[in-house]
Amino acid sequence: MDERCKALWEKLSAALKPQVSTDTYKRWFSAVELTKATEDSLTFRVPNNIYQFWIESNHMAALQSAITSAVGAPRSVQFFSSTDSDNENDFGTPEAQKSYRSSSKATGLGLGLNPRNTFESFVVGPNNQIAHAASLAVAQAPARTYNPLFVYGGVGLGKTHLMQAIGQYVWAKKKTSRVMYLSSELFINEFIDAIQHNTLVKFRKRYRQADLLLIDDIQFLGGKERSQEEFFHTFNTLFDGHKQIVLSSDRPASEIANLEHRLVSRFEWGLTAELQPPDIETRLAILRKKARALQIKLHDDVYQFLALRIRSNVRRLEGALMRVASFASLSGKELTQETIEHLLKDILLEERRQTVTIEQIQRKVAEHFDVRLADMTSKRRPASIAFPRQVAMYLARELTKASLNEIGDAFGGRDHGTVLHACKLVKKRIKEQDNIRQTVSFIDGALQR
Amino acid sequence: MKFSATKEKILEGLQQVQNVVSTRTTLPILSNVLLQAKEGTVNLTTTDLDVGVRGGFEANVDKAGATTLPARRLFTIIRELPSSEISVEVDGKNAASIRSGQSFFKILGLPEEEFPPLPKFENAKVVTMRQKDLRDGLRKTAYAISTDETRYVLNGVLFSFKENKLMLVATDGRRLAMVDIELEFPRSHEADIIVPTKAVTELQRLLTDDGDVKISVGTGQIAFDLNNTLLVSKLIEGNYPNYKQVIPSEAKERVTLERETFLNSLRRVSLLASDKSNSIKLNFSKNNIEITANTPEVGEARESLPVVYKGRDFSIAFNPEFLMAPLRNLAEDEIFFDLIDEMSPGVLKIQTPFLYVLMPMRVSA
Repeated sequence: MDERCKALWEKLSAALKPQVSTDTYKRWFSAVELTKATEDSLTFRVPNNIYQFWIESNHMAALQSAITSAVGAPRSVQFFSSTDSDNENDFGTPEAQKSYRSSSKATGLGLGLNPRNTFESFVVGPNNQIAHAASLAVAQAPARTYNPLFVYGGVGLGKTHLMQAIGQYVWAKKKTSRVMYLSSELFINEFIDAIQHNTLVKFRKRYRQADLLLIDDIQFLGGKERSQEEFFHTFNTLFDGHKQIVLSSDRPASEIANLEHRLVSRFEWGLTAELQPPDIETRLAILRKKARALQIKLHDDVYQFLALRIRSNVRRLEGALMRVASFASLSGKELTQETIEHLLKDILLEERRQTVTIEQIQRKVAEHFDVRLADMTSKRRPASIAFPRQVAMYLARELTKASLNEIGDAFGGRDHGTVLHACKLVKKRIKEQDNIRQTVSFIDGALQR
Repeated sequence: MKFSATKEKILEGLQQVQNVVSTRTTLPILSNVLLQAKEGTVNLTTTDLDVGVRGGFEANVDKAGATTLPARRLFTIIRELPSSEISVEVDGKNAASIRSGQSFFKILGLPEEEFPPLPKFENAKVVTMRQKDLRDGLRKTAYAISTDETRYVLNGVLFSFKENKLMLVATDGRRLAMVDIELEFPRSHEADIIVPTKAVTELQRLLTDDGDVKISVGTGQIAFDLNNTLLVSKLIEGNYPNYKQVIPSEAKERVTLERETFLNSLRRVSLLASDKSNSIKLNFSKNNIEITANTPEVGEARESLPVVYKGRDFSIAFNPEFLMAPLRNLAEDEIFFDLIDEMSPGVLKIQTPFLYVLMPMRVSA
């Protein structure tokens, strides 16, 4: 346990003690060690697997709230037991262990870059061709062609992978280059810290000296006014100094709420590349590549099945593969379609939920409120029609991946502001009125069946 | 092969073995039952490669021999046959002709050689105990087995042979059930093994009140010989977690409860425990336990149970299903419920060596 972890654990246990009984604390937590703390996860060492089982089953809520009060935000929690080394299979998925090991042997980067996220391990398909080509061009000749590079796309489509690949490529080519990779959240936190401790100069120096600045999930800057201003200046300094900037977001720059116009226009300055969900061939290729990397052997049908059923998200695809593979190796049973379906039922359910279309939503809502389907798109707006329409817009926003503009278009060419207003209104009324919450969740449930 | 027997005998024999046959299997032979006829008995064997069962029934064997037939199909046919006398004849191509009264069936089987043999137990450690003891022990523990496949070491019952005791343990991380059975065996036979859920379920069906069971522990596998039936199973590899860690050292309060009264109250009140939070609260006060359940937007239930209790007033919440499970499976009239405080696990005990540790749920307000 290094000093930082030790201090953090002390803080954590202080927050934990009041939440559990003394006996529980002594029994379960006194032997726990915090071995690794990163931006988003904490790894604990426990004497053996009963600690993991019992803490996971019974004390997770207490532990999480202690973590939140100690570090300010929830973290994902991992356990590993000291007896693991002599009994590999005794605990967790092989993936969890592998990731633990590979990251602990960090490749000298120390930049928060995952060594597995390289261009070689990125599977290129028609969905991400442009983004990949642009990233490669940027990595080969930083600040020459596309500056800034703005990559956007949904969850788990490879934004982070591409950014980290750029970082590693640049760093591998020239070890002296200053590569900075961070999430916008970290940027904001460090900024706040700098304000608190009056170390703004140091903060500025740190960021404005980078040769390559990679900022992940830039959408979190939305609404943080002073951070935006600070970032604006950092951006200008780097840009004028011909340093490469790469940004990623889950939506186009123009759709990030509460982002200043001068930033939006700057983000759109260089090249904007979209990542789309992979098509079936690409998904198959991803599965095979991942399987090879993890030395998993599964029947062709299994890959087919996974690629066919899990469409939206690469991370989920890989998770499903891991789950199936570990089940196969642990149980030694033949994998039939039924077992896989059973094994992945939560994932498959989630998947299905995302195939709801706006039209289905309109139909269902119209039916529920007993208004005509045509009213969904009409210009009329008595309350009896306007409210169902707003509910439908809200559901479209929640359940589909359509942008505000697309939703507006689907509702008779309304503009995105109208949609945004509808969403806010419905959200507010859900909070305030129980019957509305029930209605909306009923329709939501009916849609996902 | 040719034999005749009564419908009841055949059905009884098939019922013992047919549960092991899995309905969906990649190997067709595994949905078949192996029939071996010789000298007045027909042996039946089924397996899914993890668990295998061998039983049999008395029959007039006219011609010895062996074959395999689709187990489910055979069972449904026999069950529907009109007369009690049934004769079965199998030709060289494994086609079985079944005659009974006016009915005639012909079903196609697979050759005996394709059937995977049950594992051999040589140099196994053998322990003999009363079937009744094992059955009771499993009944008191098996309900606590974890169904979470990611924690596969918990998907079974731990058989811990130690110091002339067999300890059975099952846990799913929120509760733990444990039983001690006195048993004599040599020091060299001490071992900790995990018997998978499927084998435990089958074993519970096969065990009876009389007679002994011979347990043979081999490497990675176990056999239970119940005189006329045999169950073999693969063991779960891995180390069972150190369950002793879970057991609270001392209790502050102890209440003695009538098992059935307590169970019935819980069952009634739990009708109004919501699916989501699914908890019921026990409010202890002087000589009284008040059991309450409350679901917003649905309603609430409350029931009082007079007991002898002199400790401090406090409330503790449990998952009703978890609290009722042991009460349903115990036979004793009187149980002891040991508690420390609202955040520490509760422990159910009876006169004989049995222990059930249950984690409380968090009480809000």
